[in-house]
Parts: sequence; structure tokens; C-alpha cells
Amino acid sequence: MALPTMTLPTFKLPPSMRLQRLALLTGTCLSLTALAPAMSHAADTPASQRERALQQRLEQLSTDLQALKAEMAELRRQQQSDRAVVDSASATAQAARSDAAAAASAAQAASTSVAAQGSVNGAMNGTDLALPSAPATVLTGYGELNYNRYHNDKSKNEADVRRLVLGVQHRFDARTRLVTELEVEHSVTSASDGGEVAIEQAYVERQLDDQWAVRAGLFLIPAGLLNERHEPTTYYGVERNFVETAIIPSTWREGGVQFVGNLDHGLTLQLGLATSFDVSKWDSTDAETADSPLGAVHQEMAQAHAKDLAFFGALNWRGVPGLQLGGSLFSGKGGQGQTAAAGNGLRVSLWDLHARYLVAGWDLSAVYARGTIGGTAAFNTLTLSSGPDWYPVPRRFDGAYVQAAYQLWSAGDLSLSPFVRLERFNTRKAYADLGLGLTQTAAPTERVYTVGANLNVGSGVVFKADVQRFHANKDRNRLDLGVGWSF
Amino acid sequence: MRITPLLPVTASMATAAAGLSLSAFAVDYMSPQQAQAALFPQADRFTVREVALDAAALQALATQAGAPARSAQWKVVEASQGGKLLGWVVVDNVVGKFELITYAVALTPEGVVRQVEVLSYRESHGGEVRLPAWRQQFVGKTAANGLRLGQDIANISGATLSCAHLTEGVRRIAALVELARSRRLLGG
Repeated sequence: MALPTMTLPTFKLPPSMRLQRLALLTGTCLSLTALAPAMSHAADTPASQRERALQQRLEQLSTDLQALKAEMAELRRQQQSDRAVVDSASATAQAARSDAAAAASAAQAASTSVAAQGSVNGAMNGTDLALPSAPATVLTGYGELNYNRYHNDKSKNEADVRRLVLGVQHRFDARTRLVTELEVEHSVTSASDGGEVAIEQAYVERQLDDQWAVRAGLFLIPAGLLNERHEPTTYYGVERNFVETAIIPSTWREGGVQFVGNLDHGLTLQLGLATSFDVSKWDSTDAETADSPLGAVHQEMAQAHAKDLAFFGALNWRGVPGLQLGGSLFSGKGGQGQTAAAGNGLRVSLWDLHARYLVAGWDLSAVYARGTIGGTAAFNTLTLSSGPDWYPVPRRFDGAYVQAAYQLWSAGDLSLSPFVRLERFNTRKAYADLGLGLTQTAAPTERVYTVGANLNVGSGVVFKADVQRFHANKDRNRLDLGVGWSF
Repeated sequence: MRITPLLPVTASMATAAAGLSLSAFAVDYMSPQQAQAALFPQADRFTVREVALDAAALQALATQAGAPARSAQWKVVEASQGGKLLGWVVVDNVVGKFELITYAVALTPEGVVRQVEVLSYRESHGGEVRLPAWRQQFVGKTAANGLRLGQDIANISGATLSCAHLTEGVRRIAALVELARSRRLLGG
């Protein structure tokens, strides 16, 4: 029979836990000691050497038990004395408070010192806010309601619940958590309504060490300034900017695995492998596909074709307070085996460079994004047509904007920030050559000027108003009003 | 008044600094005790002063901090060396976006912010508040002067809420120590 070897544990626990642990150990020791008489009877049997060893262990346990008892008594004594100090402290404080009430001008509370040797334990404030190590579930959400009023054609005016998103984040333990978001766009989704219900994010994140975490599931692709932080309270203007909707298809998510490293000196590196686009679903008769090339062929992990995967990476630097400099790259094949040979050569790549500087009330930002789709010549011959209503897959599209906002006024939790944004973008900048007279003509580059203001109420609510002027397609000139929130 | 914050770097501080790195979430970098020792390496004694605020004091704290006073009971740690007061340390928690940020503020005997340390950061984003360059902005500031986010303290792109709540927390602590000193609530 082998008895468990008992050693005194190293005590680094708070006194209350130490007491519990000591009590448990003492209990174990007591039950083992109770076995001793039974074992001494067994000494008459031949295996006397083993029993002598057992006897020695029991004696050792008995010694340990004495030591434990002594330590327990000492801890009890310390706890009682601590309680006495705190009791007397609060009594003093109480007394001082009543004195203060009696004499209105007197100091209102007494200070109490609890002397300690060297460092002090437990002097932490705000611990009642939450228990960071315990499992926890947080309900999150954001939404935006927009109104667009067109200058030329009033029949296009529109009021829309642009999106309402509800999220649940659950922390399983200090290092593992789940992030989910469920989105409804355009208020009603039914056979006769144009709304959309979508899972926007659904991933598990696990912290690996002090620097690296890994995500698995459906997550936002790190690209530009807006895609990963797209709540209405975080950007200026009623509508999201064109570069980060028409070129970078925000809110752009893919399914896969992503590593996130928060490195020294303010560097954040994100690398991953994910699902890619499915260019085979391009509709060359639909003008809307041409408005956002990647928006038309992204898969959003809805039974996504996964023959071809993509690699992505992003690097951001925030080493100087207020400054962010970064870039990203995404590249993957886009045929997904859906159109045989014609689709095999399709490759979608998108990269961007971005900068943002928050300084002395200013919020300055700039983004350049450029996308290419390789191997479109063979693919476009499948839908070969002609005229302005033929929208083949473009070879290149790009866009850039610069934006300046300034916090002009604030009072209490209200703050008003006017902004101006200059954008230029072209979703059909170049087409692959199909030979004489067959190649589709590139579209003109659109320029948009947006002037407006965000009125923030605290950090969670924003009212927005702006005016947008389009250079190429003046029919789109409009006034926008919106309300948004995020929590 | 601007206080030069940097003390001679001791071995323990250097070790603590070497171990620092940014992290996504749920990472503890320092215990309160380690923070105290790092913030006041010369101190030979730390004493907890329990500050109890009545309604009027709570009101004064909220006004001075420009934020809710949050609690009537505060623990302020006094750091001293050979009986001489070196300053104060307050360890506190604020909510970043969803998770708690545990941080420590060291103040001079006059109540000027001397250093801010982030002890634990648990959010997915915004860990940049741990960067020394960002925390350095608080040094030499007081509750009455220079602790407004976006004006005196630069915001971090993508970490707005963590920046806002941490700045508010530091301002509250600076106001608390100022108030406690002026009303002689810190004993000593």
C-alpha cells in the first residue's frame, strides 16, 4: 500500500484561502492518523519493513500536522487582529463623520492608517466593478438610421434603418473568449423586402502569451481604418466613406484563422489564412456589381466555396501618442473551381496604406486602397457583350481620401466635430485587354466632397449631418442626416 | 509646477520594464505590490490610508474630476523613506470598453502625477495605452490642469474608450489625492 507523500505547500494565497487550504490539509492528516492503530496491528505480519516505513511516514505526517495547526492558529490570530484594526478604523471614521455632521465646518472623515511592513497587499480600488477572471457575458450593439435627400431627383429620397447589430461576447476564462455579432440591414427581411440578416462576426479568441492571440472563425479582415472599427460613433459622416465601401468592401469578413500580435514599440501585426472571394458569381449585366467589385463577389462565409483560400496580413504602428500608420494586404485565388478553366487564373488582391493623427482636438486621416483581379480576360470572354450595360470584371480599381475633423465645441458630455472629406475612387479603372474593339472602356474617376458634423452624446450616441457633392455623377448630390449608437 | 518624474532606474524597475510587452487581453503585467515598488523604489515603508468621503466631499470630488466620484471609500498608499513622505500610490480599476483595466497612479507629496502604470489589460483592442510614450503624457499634470483627453492627452486611434476611461480615472485619482490632502484626510 502506498500512501500519498505530503509536503507543506508554498503559501502565496490570500489569508482566507490559506485558511481554507490548511483546514482541508488538516482534515486529510486527521483521517490518515486515524488509520494508524489499524496499521500497528498489521505489524505482526511478515512485511514488517514496509510497515516500519509506513510508521515513519505517519510520524512525519503527525509532525506536519502539528506544524499546520500552529500555522493555522497564527493565521487566525492575524485575521482577528486585522479585523480589529479595520473595525476600529471604521468606528473612528463613523465617529468623525458624526462630529462633522454636528459641526458643519469640520473635516468630514477621519483617515486611518493600517501600518504594514514593506509592501501592502489588497490596496486596490474599484474591485467591485467586475470580476475579471470569472466567466462573463456582455451584450453589445450598434445601429444607424439614415435619411438621404437628393438634390435633383427627389423620388430617390430615402429613410432607412441602415443596420442594427446585436452582439454577444462571452469570456469563458481569462484567456478564452467568444465574439459574435448578428446584423439586420434595412429593417425588414422577407420575400418581398430587401433587408438582410447576417452573421457579421463569430470567432473564438485565445490568448497564447503576453503578445500573441489566435482567432478562429468568422472575423473582420484588417484593412483600412474603418473595416475593423465600423460602428457609427467611430467615423465621420452619415454614410461610410466610398473608399472603404466601394474598394474595401466594409464590413468585410472571412472565415479562417488569424494571429494577432501586439508587439513592442506600438506595433500590431495580424496574419492569417481565410476564405477568399468567388469571382464566378459576378453578374456582368448588373450595374451594382460594378459599384463595389469586391462587395459583389465576397462570400461572408455563407456556404462559401472554399477551394481557394487567401492569405492576409496587416501591420499598424501607434508608437507616437495619437498617431497611427499602417498597411494591409489580402491575396487569394477567386475561381473556386466554379467555372472550370476560365476561372482557374482568377486572383483577387487588395492592399491599402492608411494614416491617422489625433492631436489637439484634430482628427486627421488618409487612406489609399487598390485592388486587382488577375486572369479576368479569359473569364470575361464567357459573358462577352458590348455597350455601356455590359459590366465585365475589372482588372483594377482604387481610391483614396483625406479627411480632417476638429472638435469645435464641447459641454458636459456633448461635443461637436465638423469635418471635411475629399475622396476620389474608381471601381472600373482598367479592364483586361480582350482584343481589338472588345475591351470595355474604363469608367471615369469619381470625386466626392463631403462636409458635415458629428454631434456626440457621451461615447455611445451620435447625431450626424452632412452634404455630399459628386463630381462625375451629379445626380448623387445629396443631404444626409443620421443617428447612430454603439455600446 | 512640473516635477521631473524619472528616478534612477533600479534593478527591479529595469527587470519590470524588460518584462513589459503589449497584449491583446487578459494579461497581468504587475501586481499592486510590484507596482508600488516600481513607482517608489526608494520607499522603505508603504502604508494604506483609508479615505472615507462624506456627501459633500463626494460632490467636491465629482466636480473637480469632471466625472462621477464612484466611491466613498478609497485606499491611498503612502510611500515613505525613513519617515519622510515620498508620495502616494493609488491602484484602481476602470472599464475600458468591456473589460477592466487595472492601473496605478503615483503622485508626488504635492499631488502632481508622477507616473502611471497599467497593471492588467484585458481588452481585445486598445492595448496601446500601455505604451510608455502614451503614459508619459500624464507626468507633471494635476487634476485642475492638463488631464483632458484630446487636448492635453492625445487619444489613440482605435483605443478611444480605453484612453477616455483611463484618463478619467487618473483625473479622478489626482482630484481625490488633492481633496484628501487639502482636507487632511490622509493622516500622517
